[in-house]
Amino acid sequence: MRIVSVRNLIKEYPGFRLNEVSFDLEKGRIAGFIGRNGAGKTTTIKSMLNLIHPNGGEISYFGKPLIGNEAEIKSRIGYSTGTVNWYPRKSIREIADVTKRFYDTWDDNAYREYLQRFQLSENKTPLELSEGMKVKCNLLLALSHKAEMLILDEPTSGLDPFSRDELLELFTGLKQSGIAVFFSTHIISDIEKCADDIIYISEGKIMAAMPKTEFMQRFSMENETLEQTFLRLERGVEHA
Amino acid sequence: MHNIFMKELRLSASILSYLFIAFAIMFFLPGYPILCGVFFVTLGIFQSFQNAREANDIVFSALLPIAKRDVVKGKFLFVCFIELCAFFLMALVTVIRMTIMSGSEVYRHNALMNANLFALGMALLIFGLFNLIFVGGFFRTAHKFAKPFVTYIIAAFLAIGAGEAAHHFPGLAPVNAFGFEHLGLQFALLATGAACYAMLTRISFGNACGNFENINL
Repeated sequence: MRIVSVRNLIKEYPGFRLNEVSFDLEKGRIAGFIGRNGAGKTTTIKSMLNLIHPNGGEISYFGKPLIGNEAEIKSRIGYSTGTVNWYPRKSIREIADVTKRFYDTWDDNAYREYLQRFQLSENKTPLELSEGMKVKCNLLLALSHKAEMLILDEPTSGLDPFSRDELLELFTGLKQSGIAVFFSTHIISDIEKCADDIIYISEGKIMAAMPKTEFMQRFSMENETLEQTFLRLERGVEHA
Repeated sequence: MHNIFMKELRLSASILSYLFIAFAIMFFLPGYPILCGVFFVTLGIFQSFQNAREANDIVFSALLPIAKRDVVKGKFLFVCFIELCAFFLMALVTVIRMTIMSGSEVYRHNALMNANLFALGMALLIFGLFNLIFVGGFFRTAHKFAKPFVTYIIAAFLAIGAGEAAHHFPGLAPVNAFGFEHLGLQFALLATGAACYAMLTRISFGNACGNFENINL
């Protein structure tokens, strides 16, 4: 079942253009959004969250256009990033207590459960958390309001291999409970480990959006790893 | 609306915004430009904007399941709340000075302005300027506030200077009335200040909503 549809998304900055980006995201699947730094991953994600204004294109969630249904759609999705932390000096308890008032679907039991599962202390502030725990803290808020779709901007960047592995395992668990996970990364092994679908962006253009198995059949050479495939494809783009 | 206002009070606000409300008590000071107290209250509000920027508050708010217009509304509600708390404190001090302290020599022999209804009207005008220039200016980018704040400082001190000196100009002595003198004029000046506050805040809010819809966060 299609949850998100991005069609012909265009965003122009001086020196960069997001060039008619299109892809779909499905319920209960993990989509890895891969591209090198500056390829347009964050611009695409910010457009999907209505944080920036595209020059063209359409984004819809659950069959409804984002524009005009923003509040309803945002109540059904969750966002997390590994690079930003909210209210660094406020306790998790205080942030959660304020945030939960915005969501009719907030589940205190789920909140307690994830708090325990992520081994987060409510009394800690984001400033006191490691990078991995910050991502978990953001996920805690998203999952406690029963988000059906998680949009994660480079959640694994800056994490040690153990925390990364733990987080990717968590994504797999969430997928099994029907949640769609869309995460951007430039770490190919993350995609290799848990993604069902690959959305590959290079220089603002979608080069491929398909299931991982199909991607490997179409683009990988014999005995080539996914990492080698991406490196070869990227070099091809550079030389084009 | 209640939720976004509570978020402003509990997560975005700097403690200084609350503490600086106490500068309203400067309306008691004799021989001091009392309207500076109004400026200090707005300086406290400025601290909350600085705090909010460091805490990525605007992006956090924009990700909440509310319309973007409501993010702007939350900020304006908070700003007006602090301003009106300070205003009521100033009004309380003014009433004390107009009644039981109206004959006090230290207030009578004061080259600067008296705490009266005109002073309260001027306070509202300065708050209105803050809302128009600083808060409205902030929402042009949602992260840059130096230029709007410096512009506001210039406008605020011009208004303070004009208010403090007004009664020295020929024919304007009644604006510095003591006790219940020139009450009709005094109420008219207060009402003018209130109208300016409402109008400047309304204009700023409309512009801020429009700008915030169009900026890239």
